[in-house]
Amino acid sequence: MTDLAFTSGAELAAQIRDKRLSPVAVVRAYLDRIERLDGTLHAYITVAREQALAEAERAEQAVARGDRLGPLHGVPYAVKDQIDTLGLRTTAGSRLLADNVSTIDAPVITRLRAAGAILLGKLNLTEFALGGTLEFPFGQPRNPWNVDHDPGGSSAGSGVAAAAALAAVTLGEDTGGSIRSPASNCGAVGLRPTWGLVPRAGCIPLCWSMDAIGPITRTVEDAALVLSVIAGPDPADPQMRQRPPDDVLSGLRAGVGGLRIGVVKELTDGSDTDPEVRSAVLAAAETLRKLGATVDEITLPLVPLAGAVFMALADSEGAGAHQPWLRTRAGEYDPATRRRLLAASLLPTAAYHQASRARVLITREVLGALDRFDVLLSPTQPGPAPPIASGKRRVTSKADAGGRFFTRRSYTTPFNLSATPAISLPCGFTAAGLPIGLQLAGRRYDEATVLRAAWAYEQATPWHERRPPQ
Amino acid sequence: MTPSPDLSPADVRTLAATLGLHPTDDDLEEVTHRLNAMRDALAALASLPLDTAEPAPPTP
Repeated sequence: MTDLAFTSGAELAAQIRDKRLSPVAVVRAYLDRIERLDGTLHAYITVAREQALAEAERAEQAVARGDRLGPLHGVPYAVKDQIDTLGLRTTAGSRLLADNVSTIDAPVITRLRAAGAILLGKLNLTEFALGGTLEFPFGQPRNPWNVDHDPGGSSAGSGVAAAAALAAVTLGEDTGGSIRSPASNCGAVGLRPTWGLVPRAGCIPLCWSMDAIGPITRTVEDAALVLSVIAGPDPADPQMRQRPPDDVLSGLRAGVGGLRIGVVKELTDGSDTDPEVRSAVLAAAETLRKLGATVDEITLPLVPLAGAVFMALADSEGAGAHQPWLRTRAGEYDPATRRRLLAASLLPTAAYHQASRARVLITREVLGALDRFDVLLSPTQPGPAPPIASGKRRVTSKADAGGRFFTRRSYTTPFNLSATPAISLPCGFTAAGLPIGLQLAGRRYDEATVLRAAWAYEQATPWHERRPPQ
Repeated sequence: MTPSPDLSPADVRTLAATLGLHPTDDDLEEVTHRLNAMRDALAALASLPLDTAEPAPPTP
């Protein structure tokens, strides 16, 4: 049953289509693993056991009838508990929404249902998709490679569920790295799509100008498959691109011959970058070169400022959205969330304005680099997953707050600020056995190239074949 | 933007109250550290040619 659970979503769908596999058996395999492992890992907030089994029965009947089947027919998935699912609660990982039952399906859920996917449940996250939660009200999510280590955030449960095979595929949401961070920490594949490609309706917002829903999976092909289902115009959302998305599947296996790849110096050679991470990422660049890509170094001097700019924008927007509850229900927030939102509430609007201008400069720099290169390459995170305990200590001084939140180098936010797609996929393991994530970013709406490079690398290396001990 | 003097916890409490926000005594120290650190970090943006970049929404 373990092998079945670790089978890719694409392969499960193929076997179900060919009547070699029963959707009911597949759903049961995941439910069994959830029951066995999730008491430790805490990937799930809500498991929709009976609903999933009923959907699996219907999926099996559809196969038997010879119905026309969707591309994810019978494939069990789970979603970050920030995304509305009709009839199930959507908590955003907060006590404030502990009893919030969704009255709609978000468009991404409607599309996954139409594609035949079967919802297993709702996945844990840091409160309201901010980072740094001290006390998870629905259980502390744990890294399947070492349960004393952080699975990353904010889509923690999505990363854990994908890596530990507690679902075939998952959805996360990425405002500042919240898909790529857990993918990197947990040894999974996480794709943040271009802002405006995937409908955001029905997703509890953090930051209107950067929130993006995307897949966390075990393989690059599954990320492409899920993206192909959820991407596309939403007439109700004028901020989305109103034209059909590009095909990301047909060119997936085209290889990297002729691609120009830029290794971002500030993120790869930076003093914050762990030596084991640097070594693995440079080895990945060399692998891509051997596969036929042209690889050169690129410097992005403004990237070190991205973290502070991101925090000013995202935290201000988040604080604005939370003002009513900060006034009336402040005590129900996790202390770290509350303190972060309170501080951001007091930031002068002039600072937000300046950060908005700086965002444009950073965007110009990233897009300029993508004029010269098809893909930008870097580590996803400066180091492997840190111990959970290291993120639980209080802020003790201004310097401590600065170093932890505002002046440390941010590896993911340059691509959130510039609204460009970026993927994280495994590129090695540390000596201690923790995964290392490789980040590949591309031009706006060019997920096809990003996925093509990621697939070529994945197929040339063994990292995606490893399974966590949990 | 020239870095301004740090805000004190009392400053932060007063500023918050104008918005109808009331940090607990337990929260106040950390909120003050975070706000001062964020203001310092953003002061570094003053070295950029910000007047060459009009704020713009991400383009779908």
